[in-house]
Amino acid sequence: MTAAFRGPRKAKYRQLSHTADLGLRIWGSTPEELFENAGEALTAVLTDRRRLRLRHIEEITVEAPDLEALLVAWLNHLLYLYDVDAFLGREFKVQGLSPQHLKALARGETYDPQRHESKTAVKAATYHHLEIANLNGGWQATVILDL
Amino acid sequence: MASQIKLRQVDEYRWEIPREGKMRTRGLIFASQKMLSKIRDDQSLQQVANVATLPGIEGASLAMPDIHWGYGFPIGGVAAFNLEEGVVSPGGVGYDINCGVRLLRTHLQRAEVAPRIEELVNALFSNIPSGLGSRRKDLKLTVPTLHEVMRLGAGWAVKKGFGTKEDLAHIEAQGQIPGADPELVSEHAMDRGKDQLGTLGSGNHFVEVGYVLEIYDDQVAGALGLFKDQITVIVHTGSRGLGHQVCDDYIKVMLKAAQKYGIELPDRQLCCAPLSSPEGKQYLAAMAAAANFAFANRQMITHWVRESFEQVLQMGPKDLGLELIYDVAHNIAKIEEHLVNGKKKKVCVHRKGATRAFPPGHPETPAAYQKTGQPVLIPGDMGRYSFVLVGTEQALTETFGSTCHGAGREMSRHMALKTAKGRNIVRELAAQGIIVKGAGRATIDEEISEAYKDVESVVEVAHGAGISRKVAKLKPLGVIKG
Repeated sequence: MTAAFRGPRKAKYRQLSHTADLGLRIWGSTPEELFENAGEALTAVLTDRRRLRLRHIEEITVEAPDLEALLVAWLNHLLYLYDVDAFLGREFKVQGLSPQHLKALARGETYDPQRHESKTAVKAATYHHLEIANLNGGWQATVILDL
Repeated sequence: MASQIKLRQVDEYRWEIPREGKMRTRGLIFASQKMLSKIRDDQSLQQVANVATLPGIEGASLAMPDIHWGYGFPIGGVAAFNLEEGVVSPGGVGYDINCGVRLLRTHLQRAEVAPRIEELVNALFSNIPSGLGSRRKDLKLTVPTLHEVMRLGAGWAVKKGFGTKEDLAHIEAQGQIPGADPELVSEHAMDRGKDQLGTLGSGNHFVEVGYVLEIYDDQVAGALGLFKDQITVIVHTGSRGLGHQVCDDYIKVMLKAAQKYGIELPDRQLCCAPLSSPEGKQYLAAMAAAANFAFANRQMITHWVRESFEQVLQMGPKDLGLELIYDVAHNIAKIEEHLVNGKKKKVCVHRKGATRAFPPGHPETPAAYQKTGQPVLIPGDMGRYSFVLVGTEQALTETFGSTCHGAGREMSRHMALKTAKGRNIVRELAAQGIIVKGAGRATIDEEISEAYKDVESVVEVAHGAGISRKVAKLKPLGVIKG
């Protein structure tokens, strides 16, 4: 992996400041890894990811017109699972990815206010300043969350 | 990321972005000189200019004094589009469809409630689910019931015994936006909404018990039933996950529609469709359904506010006098009749983080306020104060009857957390006589006073420019936060 632009520690993601909302910058050596890291980045906004146990697996399929829209659809589907089943993923595995289609697994558990930290609520991932770029042999995405 | 947008000062409170390039109209920003330097720091002015490029825009692309950087439309943005060539944009309403504020008055004095405030906050906190992914275990709605909620809005709640008919007369659009079609709301959206009716959610949503600190207009305050030291309650929340999903669903529809109708977009989040197109009409009908869900949500919460007061103070409804003053939507698109270039015309007014501010005598101003103008409710941050204003003729002619909606953030959440680090915000506020209870420490820290503009500076601009008129200032005593 030569993605030197990610810095020496090969961060998976970073939160970007935005006055009212929150941006995520996500990195991955492949588009698959980029999507996996995006899942982690989103969970980390909602709660302390490390306290989630791997007790349940969700199979997820999403579709969109292009890769950038697919990233938004992926994150919004994870928010949907959270709203409906209180499910939060700790680890993510992409099983199939094309610009219009994503199949992935999310491993995690049901959010329990007694056990898990409540961080920042996210309404949605938006298309504003949405970007996926292939840089120096690695992938970088920017997405802004509406809080 | 300072914006390079050209700006011309019109007067003390008005700034113009001259029409340039692809803009179809000018931008008009209501702000003071002092606020402007902050506004220039982000991209909100560019967003005002972007909105001005959309087809069918009537009048200026407007920004209220609490303008800040949103996504697509700026927060504090107002734009009206004609029904012939104009568009409707889910991004111009936002994810929290019909996020709004309602204000209740009481017969109680500050001195009666202040000693019991901690108990009251605890009761509110246990009766109204709040926080990340809050849901009601006691109220899971079936699809047919959800459909009814989305059709009837606050009226559904009243029909089920949550509140009175009198409440409905004191809600924007009587708590029911016409034209709602629940069939156009996806299963995903209903999944998210089924156990969220009557929940507060998280972020900047709250229920606040406060008191009247100051009155600026005795006559209007009297007509609104407000008096000094009176206990008041503010509820701020919206359509929860159901609304978020409707917005997300229709943004996808609009991305395709914008292409189909050849609408050029400076930002994908501005995606839209002509109001006359099937996509545009469908969005408006789905949005109305989500908006009605939000009206019902605030109505249900009001019921539990009343119950909490009864429990703690051991008083009956008549003695408490917890009556609704008004309920306003501040994230919404509405078909309204306005005077455009001297002619009456139906337009679709998008208010994204902006409040309707109709004047005395307007047919949509409720009967009780025909002489005063429609009440406008502007919540501030949890440590300072909130304002009650009324709508004006000036707003109707200049801003399609719109004004500001809140303080507007000044600090990013990161900066707020940094500022709050090592401090105990709950204890600091308690020392000032404000009891705050939240589901998570992070939300409270992110919402510290310093993170917000002083709402008074925002209200001064709205009042000074004449797009609404100050009536009273409210001070918090107890707050529950998501």
